[in-house]
Amino acid sequence: MTEQLLYRLPWQSPAVYPGAHTGQTVGAGPLFKRHGSLLAHPDPRRIDVRASVLNPFGDYQVRLYQQQSNITVWVIADLSASMGYADKPEILRQFVQTAADSAFAYGDKFGFIGCGDHFEQRWFVAASQQPATVTGLCQQLAQHRFSGSAKHLAQAVQYLPSQRAMVFLLTDCHYPLPQLRNLLATLQGHDVIPLVLWHPDDYTRLPQWGLLALQDLESQHSRLLLMRPSLRPKLQMAYWQRHLALKNSFRAMGSEPLFMTGPYSTPTINHFLQQRAA
Amino acid sequence: MNLVVTTPWVLAGLLLALLPVFSRGMTTSPTPYLPLLPPDPLSAVLAVLLRLCAMTAIAGLVLGMAGLYSSEQRVERIGLGAHIVLLLDRSSSMDNSFAGRAPNGKEESKADAARRLLTAFVQQRQNGLMGVAEYSTSPLYVMPLTENKQAVQAAIAATATPALGFTHVSKGLSMALSFFQGQTVTGSRIIVLVSDGAAVIDHDSEQKLREWFKQQQVHLYWVFLRTANSPGLFDKPEDSRDDNPQVMPERYLHQFFSSLGSPYQAYQAESPNALKQAIADIDHLENTPLHYWERIPKQDLSGLCYRWASIMLAVLLAVKFCERKPC
Repeated sequence: MTEQLLYRLPWQSPAVYPGAHTGQTVGAGPLFKRHGSLLAHPDPRRIDVRASVLNPFGDYQVRLYQQQSNITVWVIADLSASMGYADKPEILRQFVQTAADSAFAYGDKFGFIGCGDHFEQRWFVAASQQPATVTGLCQQLAQHRFSGSAKHLAQAVQYLPSQRAMVFLLTDCHYPLPQLRNLLATLQGHDVIPLVLWHPDDYTRLPQWGLLALQDLESQHSRLLLMRPSLRPKLQMAYWQRHLALKNSFRAMGSEPLFMTGPYSTPTINHFLQQRAA
Repeated sequence: MNLVVTTPWVLAGLLLALLPVFSRGMTTSPTPYLPLLPPDPLSAVLAVLLRLCAMTAIAGLVLGMAGLYSSEQRVERIGLGAHIVLLLDRSSSMDNSFAGRAPNGKEESKADAARRLLTAFVQQRQNGLMGVAEYSTSPLYVMPLTENKQAVQAAIAATATPALGFTHVSKGLSMALSFFQGQTVTGSRIIVLVSDGAAVIDHDSEQKLREWFKQQQVHLYWVFLRTANSPGLFDKPEDSRDDNPQVMPERYLHQFFSSLGSPYQAYQAESPNALKQAIADIDHLENTPLHYWERIPKQDLSGLCYRWASIMLAVLLAVKFCERKPC
């Protein structure tokens, strides 16, 4: 555990348990939140004399402080066949490990939902603070052979708590845009941080000339392309347009995506998270 | 066109031609999301063509193995031509030259000249049937009406064997006429009589020939190869006592033919060139519309199938070399 995700919240955690993030709960903390009646908060150590004198109603005022609360960090991962391509599984595994370690270091809980064609118990880790569970999950992920589609993503919300949580959505978005919009709509109650995994080889390493038979990893359909210098930019343009369409879809639902096209790098994600909080 | 195969059970292999529908037969490269790629009509057309290539290649191989052939068939045709029976005189005088001598190295015999020119004549005729009959002491049935030119030419060439005794023209004509029996009347029907002499036709035969010529609607051409100093067709005897069939059979035969009522033309050829002229005349005159059935023999198509399959396989092999992977 060398690097950690440094996530800060642009919102207040509703949790009552103490943690490392700004929360809505009044309690022990360094930040002044508001004044309250001594009757409601019977702690005479916190009586604010000046506020009590100025209070037109004449009762004693105590200073109330904002309690630092914890949050739950969820990782919703797309486990479809396209996610098993190239180094995506490795990125996924590394991210899950790093996110879990960071959550535990912050004192937050960590949960994981893996979505393939169906719900599978082994790809569900309830929110907890048990590093051993995550280690086991990562081992399973390393051995898993990805197959099928990401249909179950839309049902992932069923396993999330009703309280607002931080949700990392790891997917390559290789499914129709309406499906993505539906998924984002179900996740509106949470703080969604989309991490889109794309492999740059898909569009940078196309040949100039020749016949290229491409097979879809999920549907198994194949297509023949007669590669020629005029087609190559068209294909790259298609990827770029998809990139824009995805970005717009995410933004329309209030979340900015991070496209991870290179090898896994925690600083890149941290940079993105800090921009987001600012 | 009727297509037939020699070993039908091999045709079950045609099911293999469906294989390219299920498999492209190319090394595929994985791609995460295919619908993302823009449609490319050129590639789509090429993909369909390659599938067709593969399917027809397999089908070609299977049909070749099954031994595909087109069965014999008759094709209805309409052309210009005539049905011609060549009636050749095989009397021994035909082996003499036009000068009436046994041929030496320089001049050819009448039979040789007739053979050479008739062979060329047969070669020239585009359409129509031909038959060959001969006569000497009795008629010789050589070749019925056929469209096979080679057979007719061979029949004409067969007259090169030494000739026989007498000249019995009426029986020869009867046989030539009998060739037309049972044939549908289409185009013109011609008998080309090539002879160098004539004979008396008795009364009964005369009656019969008159009847048959009318029935069969046959045109008659007589190419008379006149030997030097022999009586011609149109000569009138100086002495009226000589004016009888026994002395001048040619003159009387000519008169008989003229009186038949059916179209008749006589050519008196006194040299090979005149004979050539006569035959050219007949060739020119007898071209009337003709309705006939042409026979097309059985044709083996398996070679064609294999050729097609090998071309397709060559195309597919070339395509195989063009395959690329994302580099």
